[in-house]
Amino acid sequence: MADHDPDSDSTPRTLLRRVLDTADPRTPRRPRSARAGAQRRALLETASSRRSSSQTKMTTRRHSHGARSISRSAYVQASGHLKEQTPRTLLKNILLTAPESSILMPKSVVKPVPAPQVVQPSRRESSLGSLELQLPELEPPTTLAPGLLAPGRRKQRLRLSMFQQGVDQGLPLSQEPQRNADASSLTSSLNLTFATPLQPQSVQRPGLARRPPARRAVDVGAFLQDLRDTSLAPPNIVLEDTQPFSQPTVGCSPRVYRSPPCMPHTGAEDTELAAGCKKRSSGPGMQTNSPEKLAQFLAGEAEEVDAFALDFLSTSSGVSGEDGVEPLQDGVEEAEKRMEEEGVSVSEMEATGAQGPSRAEEPEGHTEVTEAEESQGTAEAKGPGASSGDEDASDRAARPELVSSTPESLQARRHHQFLEPDPPPGAAVLSSEPAEPLLVRRPPRPGTTGPRPQQDPHKAGLSHYVKFFSFYAKMPMERKALEMVEKCLDKYFQHLCDDLEVFAAHAGRKTVKPEDVELLMRRQGLVTDQVSLHVLVERYLPLEYRQLLIPCASSGNSVFPAQ
Amino acid sequence: MALSTTVSQRKQIKRKAPRGFLKRVFKRQKPQLRLEKSGDLLVHLSCLLFVHRLAEESRTNACENKCGVINKEHVLAAAKVILKKSRG
Repeated sequence: MADHDPDSDSTPRTLLRRVLDTADPRTPRRPRSARAGAQRRALLETASSRRSSSQTKMTTRRHSHGARSISRSAYVQASGHLKEQTPRTLLKNILLTAPESSILMPKSVVKPVPAPQVVQPSRRESSLGSLELQLPELEPPTTLAPGLLAPGRRKQRLRLSMFQQGVDQGLPLSQEPQRNADASSLTSSLNLTFATPLQPQSVQRPGLARRPPARRAVDVGAFLQDLRDTSLAPPNIVLEDTQPFSQPTVGCSPRVYRSPPCMPHTGAEDTELAAGCKKRSSGPGMQTNSPEKLAQFLAGEAEEVDAFALDFLSTSSGVSGEDGVEPLQDGVEEAEKRMEEEGVSVSEMEATGAQGPSRAEEPEGHTEVTEAEESQGTAEAKGPGASSGDEDASDRAARPELVSSTPESLQARRHHQFLEPDPPPGAAVLSSEPAEPLLVRRPPRPGTTGPRPQQDPHKAGLSHYVKFFSFYAKMPMERKALEMVEKCLDKYFQHLCDDLEVFAAHAGRKTVKPEDVELLMRRQGLVTDQVSLHVLVERYLPLEYRQLLIPCASSGNSVFPAQ
Repeated sequence: MALSTTVSQRKQIKRKAPRGFLKRVFKRQKPQLRLEKSGDLLVHLSCLLFVHRLAEESRTNACENKCGVINKEHVLAAAKVILKKSRG
């Protein structure tokens, strides 16, 4: 228990002392160490109490001297139990033995220094293992110490400078005859090895040493391989997501959410069938076509056409009841008039089988596929003639399955289309083709406003808000939940329009003005006395809309927007 | 017009107001009324706020049920509350 100078209360020594104060001793040999520990603790407490008071160094020296003399006895007792190598004991030994400061100390202090030094040489050696103390009489317990003293080691290193100073001063004074050899050897060895505390630690604990960052050399081969892999990927994407058809797929997707149960099924079936047709057609096409690239091109076009046909399918799926089915049938009839003689085979197949109205949509889709492909192949329309007549008769009847028919018809068609210069005109025809069936189809639908304009943009607009919903929610959502959101939005729109009408009527107007909408928002509780409409506009709307809504003065005494 | 690209979020939200859609919906509902040009922007704003409140409420519902996914029931319960609130 040495010491402590009140001057340097925050020395490592004091810190260690506090550590020792607070922690409990846990040595196996309780009875012996308990006594010593109790004595030590008592001495520590007294020393600490003295430490807290600010005193001159000399007085503290005397106090510490007194404490030391007492502690010396305690340590002499404990010295017999050198085998208890607890960190506590070791640290205490350090505190005892190491002189505090560089101030010259009276001889009385010197005496206790070598005594405890000699008594606890083994401990100190193990505690300051880095100092490599070699003492003849005591075994160096090196194994236990380093692991235990890891936390204290840092503090020890901090105190080394003080220690060294003290030892330097203690060295000339410690010429006591009694344990001269030991002390001198100790101090000399101490002096020698102060400079190398860090290295042995790293040797003992290789993990703690700072290693240079391991940098792997760039594997050029792997890099090039990755490049090649990624370059392979895009072509698939290009095929699947061609620009002109992105919109129909977008239009398709919200429709997937729709309530009519049969629709999703038919939609799924149609996609599967279309894909199957595509594959089957491309398969036999590949085999039979002499110019293979022709077949590939046709297959590619078939994909695009299928994608477009899906759009037609989905639009047709939007048809309620058979009203839409019939006009579509009529439209398909007219389109089929452009079919070639292969259409005869188609009509034959059409004559077979009778399907219900739900199935009617499938064959419609496939007839669209077929007629699109056929028309693509036949830039020169050959006389439809009997083929169309046959088809008209069969059209009114339930549509047969064209699933199996389409690949065969496609195959048959390909036989005839070899001779035609397909690729350039095919592309041109294809681009014009999608437009024409649309135009062809619109006039035959006079009665119905067409569910398509009803649903498509409505769904598209609602999906806009649904996206906002999922964005604000920041959580994954179910599809049904999104459908529910759409329904809620519909209801909200209805309420909104009713309210706006009431407000406008109240103001005697027939036009709904922004003031009405502001009043609505105020009633909803969005606009309050604290939160004004402009604040909301600034918060939620982008800049361009803000300029339109909030009047702003500009140069020349003009306000935009004009009030 | 304005496209906002958020770096933090995965998706990019287009903040464009579907003005044509709103006008069409209003016309379909109330063909006898007319809507002023800036009016639909405010309608869009009110819809945004409605959706915002709905999302917050359904997220709260989902978190209360300790679900990681927003369910239909959460949305339904939230919609009842929010529609009542925004009745005006």
